[in-house]
Amino acid sequence: MEWVIFGFLGTWLILSALGTVFVKNPIHVILFFLSALLAMSAIFLSLGAELLAGIQLIIYAVAIVVFYVLAITTIPWEKIKRFEGVYKNELFVASPILLLLFIFMSYMVLEGEFAKPSGTVEDNVRELGKELFTSYLFPFEVASVILLVAMIGAIVLGRKEE
Amino acid sequence: MDIMKAYIILSIALFLIGLLGVIVRKNLITILVSTELMLNGINLALVTADKVLGRVDGQIFAFFILTVAAAEVAVGLGLVVAIFRLRGYEASHEITHLRD
Repeated sequence: MEWVIFGFLGTWLILSALGTVFVKNPIHVILFFLSALLAMSAIFLSLGAELLAGIQLIIYAVAIVVFYVLAITTIPWEKIKRFEGVYKNELFVASPILLLLFIFMSYMVLEGEFAKPSGTVEDNVRELGKELFTSYLFPFEVASVILLVAMIGAIVLGRKEE
Repeated sequence: MDIMKAYIILSIALFLIGLLGVIVRKNLITILVSTELMLNGINLALVTADKVLGRVDGQIFAFFILTVAAAEVAVGLGLVVAIFRLRGYEASHEITHLRD
């Protein structure tokens, strides 16, 4: 049963990722990306990370995808026609190298051993919250500073030159 | 074969597909989308390691990756729109102003 779920979700994820890379139209790229995000969220659920699945849906599938669609709709279509698609030469050079890399890394994963489990998690969300607000409190605060800096940077980059 | 190894291999495949997208795409916005795919691959590897080890630290790192992804989208799309507005509509091989 586990393998059936893995096969379904993995096939869905890989097909959407390939669609994201190879489809021409930018709106279709965003739709394939959204499909990949939904598959990703389902995989998180099947791995027992419920809170992360929900946050994946809220942040990625709502906020980031809407942001991309808004940015795409501000760009005129007739001018974007000229450079859609992929570079053929780079594709022929890069795909064998990346395939070789994939085979090599998969071989290392298959041959290697996992570390021994060092604990059990009964209630994922409760454990996560406890850990996030005690051990990881300082990185949590720093993340807010990163978001503030990104907001200011986006405003500075996006404003019209006087 | 352990099913967790299959999940790790899936995450490697997702990361490499994203890398392929960064290398071969012409459009700047789709290059940004491919980097998001790479970040998703990392998240999947972290959550799988969590499931194997029975801890929650990897999921917390995945949260921080989500935060960085949101910041990256804001700044990256700002840069792309600024490039389009100031330098005209260009493919990724035409942006060589820093080199020249």
